Parts: sequence; structure tokens; C-alpha cells
Amino acid sequence: MKKTILALAFIGAATLSFAQKRVTTSAIIQFDASTSIDELPKAENKTVIAAIDPVKGTVQFEAAMKNFAFKNPMMQDHFNSKNWMNSDEHPKATFSGQIRNLDAVNFNKDGNYTATVEGILSIKGKENKVTAPATIIVKAGVITANTEFSIKLADYGIEGAPIAAGKVAKEPKIIVSAEMK
Amino acid sequence: MFKKTWQKIILGFFLFLLAASGIYWYYATEKFTDTALEKPAYTVNAADLLHAFQTDSKAANQQYADKIVEVKGIITGTEAADSSINIKMADPGTGSYLIFAFQDQHLDEAAGLKKGDSVSIIGSCSGGVYSDILETHAITFKRSALIK
Repeated sequence: MKKTILALAFIGAATLSFAQKRVTTSAIIQFDASTSIDELPKAENKTVIAAIDPVKGTVQFEAAMKNFAFKNPMMQDHFNSKNWMNSDEHPKATFSGQIRNLDAVNFNKDGNYTATVEGILSIKGKENKVTAPATIIVKAGVITANTEFSIKLADYGIEGAPIAAGKVAKEPKIIVSAEMK
Repeated sequence: MFKKTWQKIILGFFLFLLAASGIYWYYATEKFTDTALEKPAYTVNAADLLHAFQTDSKAANQQYADKIVEVKGIITGTEAADSSINIKMADPGTGSYLIFAFQDQHLDEAAGLKKGDSVSIIGSCSGGVYSDILETHAITFKRSALIK
């Protein structure tokens, strides 16, 4: 009897935990390393996996590096090459973090909320702490999260002549948008 | 005699510079062609492609990543991605999925598709990654187009 109750409790807890999480496989990340002398280093990935847990306040992202779409084929090849993202060996970038001011966001009530998200961003196998402001919109049960921040390419072991020459921004902008149901 | 040799060297240098600039300009301004007009390296069923990635992800990535692939299958879901729609074909048993982001000039085609439609989609396969969030394989495509 005890075992049955324990098993039911475990299943219930697991189901509840899964139900809490809101996910999408179509979050968007824009990577903008363009400069005044080169507009090409710009790309968008529209198939990013994102998850948010309204109860725990956790935020997660996974982006397949090779699905960043550039307009220019040469730029896309450079982006995925060994010197840059080395996408064959490091096929995804990940973020795992936490909403710092979870009390300020009411996921049960429609509205626009300002949050601070802090976590670890992993690119090319290198991990760095990132803190970014985010806008969270709750509407009819759908959670939309938007954020924009910059990263230092050198922090992720990405260096090269085009960066030194000013053709690629040293600190590209990362723009994230995720609609989670 | 000495003067003529120098003239030739300078002319050669300028011609080289002109050719190099031309080649750089060509590659720097080149854009991806319309995927719908490209010949696929592979034509596969969605279920077979999912099976390939689920059984041997490394081999499947070597075979399909960075290739133009035509996939035939039934749409299991659509997802809004900003103003566009992504098309999904998922394995109902494992949850692993193929997802197609459409090329700018083909965004309207995706908007007209719905769950249950049987379609052929051509796209640039970006390979598959194992998602620790979903605990499934995610095989992504960019610059996709609907084959009519």
C-alpha cells in the first residue's frame, strides 16, 4: 500500500513538474556582428529550443549552430568553420539560467513584466556568466520572452583577423525572442 | 629596357589587384540561391530520416548536414516563429522531430500548411542535435521551400 502511494506521488510530482514547463522549438536568436565597414556578419536561427519554468523561474535555450542562416554563403561557412564556432565539434550553444526577480513576474496574470535573467551561456565549449534584462509578456496563457544583450567573442575563444580589422564586431548583439505555450 | 620591365611589373600588380578585388567582391556580395531551384542531394521520407538520426547521429550528420535534402512526410505541427511559420514532422513515439524554417521568398507557402498535410519540403539540412531540454533529437532545416 505504502509503495503504491509512493509511486502515485512520484508520478504526480513528475507530471506536475513537466506541466510547469513551457517550451517552444521555434524561438528566434539573431546574431549581429555587423560593423560600419561590413554588414554581412548577421544571422538568424528560427528553430531554437526554449523552455521556461514559471514556478522555479528557470530559463533554458538550445540553438543548433549550423541553423544560423546568413544571407551570404561565404559568411556562413566562416561562421561554422574551425576558427570560429567550430560547429562540427560544438554543434549547439546553450543557455541555462534563472529569473532573478521571480516575484516581479506573475505568470498567472496577463501583463508585461521586466525581469533580470542570469545564467551560463555556453558557446564553442566555453562557458561564461551572462546577466540580461528581459521582457516577459503573459497573454492568454502564452508566455513571450524577449531579451537583447552583447557577448565578447574573445570570452568564447573566437578571435581572428576580421575581428582585429573591424570587419566583425568584437561584441556582437544577441537578440532573443521566444513564444512558449 | 629596365624601364619597360618595371612598367610590366606595375601593370601585372594592378591586374592582380583588380582580379583579387573582383573575386572578393563576387563572394562578398553573393547570396544563397532559391532552394526550390536546387537539386537535392537526397530525397528521403521523414520517418527514415528521423530513424537515421536516432540510430546513429554521427553517421547521419556526416551524410545529411550541409546538404540540400528533400523530405516527404506528414506535418505533425506548425509553430509561429515571429511573423513566419515553422513546419514540424515528429516521431510520435520518441518525440524526435524535423523542423523546417522557410526561406524568405517561401514564407507564404508555410503559412498555408496545416497539421495532417502530406508534403514534400526541400531545405538546407543543418544536421541534428540531441536536446537536453526535450530529451529528443532535433533535426533542423533552414532556407526551406515547399515542393509543389
